[in-house]
Parts: sequence; structure tokens; C-alpha cells
Amino acid sequence: MSEGQGGARAPAQRHVIRSPKDFWGGLSLVLVAAFALWASSDLPGMRGFAFGPGTAPRLFAYSLMALGFGVMLVGLLTDGPPLEKFTFSGTFGGAALVISLIPIYYFASRIGKWVPGVPPDIVVAAIGASVVVVLAFLLTNVAPRGPLFITAATIIFAISVRPLGLVISSYVALVIAANATKEVRWLESMIWCAVLTAFCSLLFPYGLNLPLQLWPRF
Amino acid sequence: MDLISNLAFGFSVAVTPMNIFLCLIGALVGTLIGVLPGIGPLATIAMLLPITFGLPPVGALIMLAGIYYGAQYGGSTTSILINIPGESSAVVTTLDGHQMAKQGRAGPALAIAAIGSFIAGTIATVLVAALGVPLTALALKFGPAEYFSLMVLGLVFAVVLAKGSVFKAVAMVLLGLMLSCVGSDIETGQSRLSFDLPELADGIGFVTVAMGMFGFAEIMRNLEQDASRDIVESKITGLMPTMKDFKDSIGAIGRGTALGSLLGILPGGGSVIAAFAAYTFEKKISKNPEKFGRGAIEGVAAPESANNAASQTSFIPLLTLGIPPNAVMALMVGAMTIHGIVPGPQVMTKQPELFWGLIASMWIGNLMLVVINLPLVGVWVSLLRVPYRLLFPAILIFCAIGVYSINNAPADAIMVATFGFIGYWLVKCDFEPAPLLLGFVLGPLMEENLRRAMLIARGDPTTFLTRPISGVLLGIAAILIIIALLPMIRKKRDEVFVEEGV
Repeated sequence: MSEGQGGARAPAQRHVIRSPKDFWGGLSLVLVAAFALWASSDLPGMRGFAFGPGTAPRLFAYSLMALGFGVMLVGLLTDGPPLEKFTFSGTFGGAALVISLIPIYYFASRIGKWVPGVPPDIVVAAIGASVVVVLAFLLTNVAPRGPLFITAATIIFAISVRPLGLVISSYVALVIAANATKEVRWLESMIWCAVLTAFCSLLFPYGLNLPLQLWPRF
Repeated sequence: MDLISNLAFGFSVAVTPMNIFLCLIGALVGTLIGVLPGIGPLATIAMLLPITFGLPPVGALIMLAGIYYGAQYGGSTTSILINIPGESSAVVTTLDGHQMAKQGRAGPALAIAAIGSFIAGTIATVLVAALGVPLTALALKFGPAEYFSLMVLGLVFAVVLAKGSVFKAVAMVLLGLMLSCVGSDIETGQSRLSFDLPELADGIGFVTVAMGMFGFAEIMRNLEQDASRDIVESKITGLMPTMKDFKDSIGAIGRGTALGSLLGILPGGGSVIAAFAAYTFEKKISKNPEKFGRGAIEGVAAPESANNAASQTSFIPLLTLGIPPNAVMALMVGAMTIHGIVPGPQVMTKQPELFWGLIASMWIGNLMLVVINLPLVGVWVSLLRVPYRLLFPAILIFCAIGVYSINNAPADAIMVATFGFIGYWLVKCDFEPAPLLLGFVLGPLMEENLRRAMLIARGDPTTFLTRPISGVLLGIAAILIIIALLPMIRKKRDEVFVEEGV
């Protein structure tokens, strides 16, 4: 956001970015489009008058980039409302948690061997969950709790539901999710999370006949 | 008459105990989420999509449809009693509805909202049935070029009617189209934009995007607001409106229904716009417009009829042409695809029980909703006392389990979380996610038809303009874009002039 105050030394009223919502929103679209162009650069394009696999993605990406620049330009030329609270910190807080999974994903086979005697997928899930929870609590200093703990809870559910089963994974995820608001009341949420876990453990595998495993497999 | 025999066939499908039960569940869930602010039908249907997997397709669609129009009923209750729209399409109902409640006329306001919705729902049901056959016949004449142009028109409508900047809405459509490219190419099977991750090889799931962008992003933002809700304790005495109320509102109900039905059919429309348009129209033609905002019963009757009519007629383009006119209908496409049904004109011929059963169930559902909403209004109000800090973990875990269970894929749940903060970012920057979802659903269809049309025309892009139906559709789209841009240009100019004048 520091660029937003780029003109701060000049008399303060006029910033370079007059409508920050447009500018930053547009910029993010340009970056996404550029990324997509790079990612689709190896796909074959038109063959005669037939589309190749790469034609449509590139067509969309170029148009998106053009519009992204357009929206950025609007942000420079017209006045708009200031950014809302937590625009950057909320988004990047959530993103940081998901990104922290990438090394765990790539080194899963090695991490799994760290604790002998315990099935490797349980080790990976436990370490992944701890990393995400610790990171989420550390980030509460700079980012809002909502995006942090909603993201953290979902990740924890995702990585632990297979090795640990529905009951444990959803209870842990629920307790973490309860931290997403400052008015968390510990006893109340512990009980409420247990009730919800029980409800889900009955509804999904039995009520709806979904093939979900309830307990860890040893 | 065909219409009557078709409807009779539909009712025979809809009144089976299983379907009645599912319709009731849909109506109940719809009312519930309609009453509770912060959860809309879009997020709910996205969450419940995986659950419908085990149901027969007719029952699944009946239930999901019930949620959509049920939410229109429920939303008015919260608007009237606590001045917070329970659902975005009930925003305008707060204006006069809550004023009526303050004057001690909450009962008649609730009743007229329900009665108006019921009348609108009945008329809209007949309309869906009547328009189904001719539109299906038209759709069978469509080739790839026409389909492509029709989808362009639908997206243009979505862009024009989205609130805020036209550029941003177009950008969202494009982002949706681009996301839909992830996965394997339809013709060659080559993997695109998937970075060799097996989790992305099949593309991004529709439920994943919808649930993340709407469900999760919404929770994240709701948690930032002050969680306390004040319920104005107004005693509901005497549900029945007086004769004068009926006389005042019957015209408004009729006009609201007509306007709502029209806006529902048009691509990009939907119940929110319908409610706004009906209210504005009613205020304009009223003999004493100063009454509006001070508890005019027409101000409750018109938008409530309109949003219900629109929520039902928006099924017309979906069922006949296979094109979802708004984001909720895009979810319905998802629901149909889960069950292996390709939405389009062939639904009516190949699965008549689905088509007519769904239509008949709408009327049954509306009847149920009147009962659910009027005598049971106290139950719903007491639900509003459940604090959000208890509600959101429940929503979260249902979403997480639901999305995981579709493919038993943990990666899907992580993707939902990812789309959650992406949606959060977009909304914070004033981008509407609804056009994105529409682009995402239409993306594969559009690409396929575009490629086919180009192949048939041997690479000549003018085929879209020279084929008459296609040309007309694109012409309408072009005119719409120009109209949408004109006032913006004018307004921007005015601003410049003002600045220079100072």
C-alpha cells in the first residue's frame, strides 16, 4: 500500500492513485492474466481455422489483461472511495496459510518418516495442521481473524479427514474456526463444536449415505 | 389442452410422497436461510449441491428450487420485523415493511408479502409451463453459432444489470471464462493451466468456486461486522389485512408479478433487480408517492410479488435453452450436471417428468410456503436470536464436508478456502462475483460452440453476424452495451465539468 501514498511529499490531497479499489483490483487481474499467459504459453494455438487447446485460454487472458489495465487506468483518472479495512491483510493472511502448505505437499514423503511407528499420513496431517494453526495465531497480529481462521479450519479439515477420520478432523476444524471471531467463549464453543460434530457424523455417513470414514485407520 | 394435460402429468410426479417431502425440506431450508441475514440462497444451494448427489434427479431439483423461492418468502420476514434484509432481494421491502411494523401493522405486512408472493408464484408457474413448449421448439433450431451468440447475450445482460462498473463486470466474466479453461481441453484432451497437478487435471469444480466465492467469502466479511442484532420486539397482532389493504395492494401485486416475470426470464436478471424495479415503478405510478417509505402496503406487495415471480421464471431459459440467466440458475446447471442431465431443449423431450414435475412442484411449494410463513412466523423470529458465532462454524463444516464428499478429494476443500479469500479480495475491491460464476459455468459451453461454429464456417468469423438469429442476438447485445456505457460516459463527463468549473 506504500505506493498508494507515493505522492505523500507533494501537498497531501491528491494521491497518484485516486481510486485505490479500482487500481489494486485492476492490477490483480493483470497479474492473474499474465500468469495465465505464461502458464498457457506451451499450448498449441490455431491450426488452420481450427482452434487449438491454447487458443481460448490465451484469448480470455489477453482480454482480461486489457480490461485489467482499463480498470487500473480508471483508478488513476477518477476519484473513488478509499480501500476498506483489511483488504490486503485479510487476503494475504488467507493466502499465506494456503501457501504454507506447498512445502508440506512437496516434502510429504520425507516428513512422513519423522515419527517412527506412526503411519506417515497421520504424521504429515498433524505437522501440517500444527504449522497452519501456529501461523494463523501469529498472523492475528497483522491480519483479521475471519479470513485467517476460516481458511485455517478448512485446510485442517482437508488434510486430516482422510488419515484421522470425520470425527476428529471436524471437531478440530470447528474449534479452530470458532477463533474466527473475537467473542469466542471457550466452554460454549467446545460444547457446541461437539454437538455439531456429532450431528455431522450422523447426517453425512448415515443420513446421506456418503462414504465417509468416521475414525482413524490404524 | 396440452398445457393442462402436461401440468396434470407434472402434478402426478410432484405429489409422490418423496417429492412432496423434498419440496417441503426445500421450502423450509429456503425460509430458514431467507430469514437469517448473511446466508443467501446462492451460498446455501452451493453448500447443498453435494448432498443432492444421493437423491433422484427430479427430487434434487425440486428441493433446490424450493430453497430459491423459499428464500424470497423468508427474506421479507426479517426485512419487516427487524429492518435488516434477510436476503438481498428483500432490501426494498425494509423501506415500507418495517415502517408498517413500527405502526403496529407487522401482521398485515407479513400477510400481504406472503399472499402477494403466492399469487405471483401461481402466475409464474403457469407462465413457465406455457412458455416451455414454444421456446423449446425455437431452441431446437439453434446451431453452434446461435448458441454462442445467445450466451454472449446472456453474459452481456449479466454485465449490464450488475451493480457498479461495467468494466469490472466484464472483467469478472472473463476471469470466470479463464478459470473454466483449467483442466483438460475438450477436443484434444491436453491438460491446460493445470501445472501437472493431478488435483487440477479434471478442472476446477463448479461447487468449489461457488462455495468459496459466495459461502466462505461471505462468512469472512460477516465476521468483520458487529455481530449483535437488535430484534425490535413488535407484537404481531392480527395477521389478516383489512379489505382496504387488499384493494390497495391487488394492483401492485399484479404489476409486480408482470415486471418480475419479465425480469426473471431475461438473462442477467433475477429477483433482486425485479424487486427494485417493481418498487420504483409502483412509486412512480402512485397517485400519492409521498406515502412510500412511510408504510405503504403497495411498497411491500409489489417487490415481494416481483422477487418471487422472477425467481420462478428464471427457470425458463435454463429448462428450455439450457442457458442459466443468473448465478443461482448457474448452480442449477451444476446440480443437473451432477446427475448427468445436460440442460437444454432435450430435457423436455427426454425427461418430461423432470420438466413438468419441477414446474408443478413450484406451485405446491408456494402453497406450503404460505403455511410455513404465516402461522409459523414466531418460530422463524426466534431463530434470529441464534448468535452468528454459533452459526458460522456450522456453515463452515457443512461446506467443508460437502465439498470433500463430492470426489472424496481433500484438494477440493483447500481450493474452496482459496476461492474464499479470492472472493474476499474481489468484493473488497468492489468486484461482483456473480458474473464470474456465470462466466465460469458458460465457459466450456461457449468455447465448444465457438470452436464448432468456426469449424463449420471454415474459420470465417462473420458467420456469427450473417446467420440471422445469431446476428439479431449479437445486435441486441451490442445495443445493450452501448446503452449501459452511455450514461456512464455522461456522468463521468458531468464530473469533469464540475471539477473544471470549481
